[in-house]
Amino acid sequence: MTPQHRWPDGPDEVSAELRRVLDEASLRGPDDMMLRRGWAAVAEPPEPPRARRGFWFAGGVATTAALVVAGAFWIRPRLADLAQHAAHERPAAQNEAATPGPRRLMLEGGVEAVLGRSSVMRLEDGAPRIEGGEVRFSVPHRPPGHPFVVRAEGYRVVVVGTRFGVNVEGLAGERKAVGVDVDEGIVEVWETATQRRVARLTPGESWQSPDVDAESPAPPAAVDAAPAPSGPTPTIPRPARNLHHGGKHAAVHALALASPGEAGATSAETPATAEAVAARVALAAGDAPRALQIYRAMAQGTGPSAENAAYEVGKVLNEKMHQPQSAVAAWRRYRAANPDGILRVEADVSIVETLARIGDTDQALSEANEFLRRHPDSERRAEIARLAGDLYRARGDCRHAVATYQITLGASRPRDAVEAAAFHRADCLVRLGDAGGPEAARAYLRTYPNGKFRGEAAALANGSAPRP
Amino acid sequence: MAEGPVHTPSLMRAVPSGGSLSADVEMVGRCRRGDSIAWRGLYDRYAPVVYRFLSAFGVPREEREDACQEVFVAVYRSLARFRGEARLSTWIYRIAARHAGRIARRRKVRTLLSTLLVREPPPPPAADPSERSERLQLLDEMVSKLSPKKRLVLVLFEIEGVPIEEVAKIAGCPENTAWSRLHYARSELMAMAKRRER
Repeated sequence: MTPQHRWPDGPDEVSAELRRVLDEASLRGPDDMMLRRGWAAVAEPPEPPRARRGFWFAGGVATTAALVVAGAFWIRPRLADLAQHAAHERPAAQNEAATPGPRRLMLEGGVEAVLGRSSVMRLEDGAPRIEGGEVRFSVPHRPPGHPFVVRAEGYRVVVVGTRFGVNVEGLAGERKAVGVDVDEGIVEVWETATQRRVARLTPGESWQSPDVDAESPAPPAAVDAAPAPSGPTPTIPRPARNLHHGGKHAAVHALALASPGEAGATSAETPATAEAVAARVALAAGDAPRALQIYRAMAQGTGPSAENAAYEVGKVLNEKMHQPQSAVAAWRRYRAANPDGILRVEADVSIVETLARIGDTDQALSEANEFLRRHPDSERRAEIARLAGDLYRARGDCRHAVATYQITLGASRPRDAVEAAAFHRADCLVRLGDAGGPEAARAYLRTYPNGKFRGEAAALANGSAPRP
Repeated sequence: MAEGPVHTPSLMRAVPSGGSLSADVEMVGRCRRGDSIAWRGLYDRYAPVVYRFLSAFGVPREEREDACQEVFVAVYRSLARFRGEARLSTWIYRIAARHAGRIARRRKVRTLLSTLLVREPPPPPAADPSERSERLQLLDEMVSKLSPKKRLVLVLFEIEGVPIEEVAKIAGCPENTAWSRLHYARSELMAMAKRRER
């Protein structure tokens, strides 16, 4: 054994502690729900595995050809345009020839922005406002309730995760027009002044605003909040104009093709994922009924996406529409249809937690006990046992509470639940007059010397706690 | 030099044993042919490992779940390239390590750009409420200060319990280099821990 193979500096207290923490770190892991969510996401991978490396070569040839064609489309109309309208070119357009190529910026949340040569973008509290020219964005998936918002004149472009471009045309102080086009995912355009959704775009679609007056920036507080919809879904006010064709915008198309990283990341969306994105966009925009409608339609299908949608129906009803009873019913329907479904544990946990929250203790306890019986290996077991213990304790049934807290103590995580169970078990034992009560309180204090119940535990340990 | 404990991490169970190379090749072959049960089996076996590895490597909590899914999408897309020359776990760790490195670089660039553009770097990742242990948070903080190469070797060997020959394959270096990186990583970690102790 060479010295390299040993821990340095001998087995003193610090190195022993360090090794203990490393061991503790090796016990960390995801919970069941995260794994199941993950499975729902990867069960239907976006594209089949590539069989041969030869495809890379073919892909390279195709990309090169596409670049050449796109380049030709970009150069030709541009040259013609320059020749015919040289006298009428705006100063910004003249500057384009002198400035270097597009500039890439990474913004917060992994958002990539590609600025055109004469584009002007300002960051207001980290959120972009486009003041002129075209900027293309690639937005990774955002957590629900945290859409990415781009401001352009009197509009907000709200996205959950997609690739799209925003274009503002016009000179400073003049009327400017806003254009939005979408490469991937779904994008909504909201009018800032009226808080109305004016367009909902799917891949390949584009939207062009009527000319609007240049306006002063909106207050930054509104940046991350998706505007609330008013009334029924509005329609697109003007016929969509395809920004991808014609001299000026062909350059944008070439830009998208020019990036192999982006091209590689692009994959054909299945209808199910497109619907899921649409539902998330609706949720982000505060349109829960629409999200519910989409999820319900998706749930009629088959496969993991349908299963996931059936579960999400309950979640939307519970969290967004504040209908806990209906949510429980939806999860029960999910359970009946998918007794061994990939989100079964998640549905069971949601039912228990929701019933407990609305005060239906009998049902909650019944579901919790059924969960403990049905899922002996679940990582959520400790939490559910703790919840059941709390419910028993609240109704004064300390004997059952002790038994269920004991289940929580058999786990190492989550720490909050285990700590609370350790204290409340000791408390219940003292209430029952059990001789082991004070010792259980001392054990709590030894394990959690700085625990949040240390004061009460000390009182239990030395017998000074007030008796009920 | 004082007699120190030997190198073996006490929790070797962290790495799924997987199976023989031939079993790995067969499993991958089934996944490649579209066998959803095999794909589910692979996910069930390695998702906790990938998640834990990403946590230990310093991927922020808010990005971990997505990162884990992205690793599996990358695994799926690369199945055709698994030739069975290394264990499946080694191969998956390699993909996860590349991905974790990319996330770290992305965050670094983002911080730099934010500093340049808005003069205020993004806030540091929030502490994981499921990992309330102060000791674990301190460990994460110290590990994040190691260089990526040393961090990779330390995380794989000390936390993931991967044998050093596999660690060397994942890191793409000779075994002796892996030992050397591990030694320096441990020394730096010890030094940091002692400084904190004082």
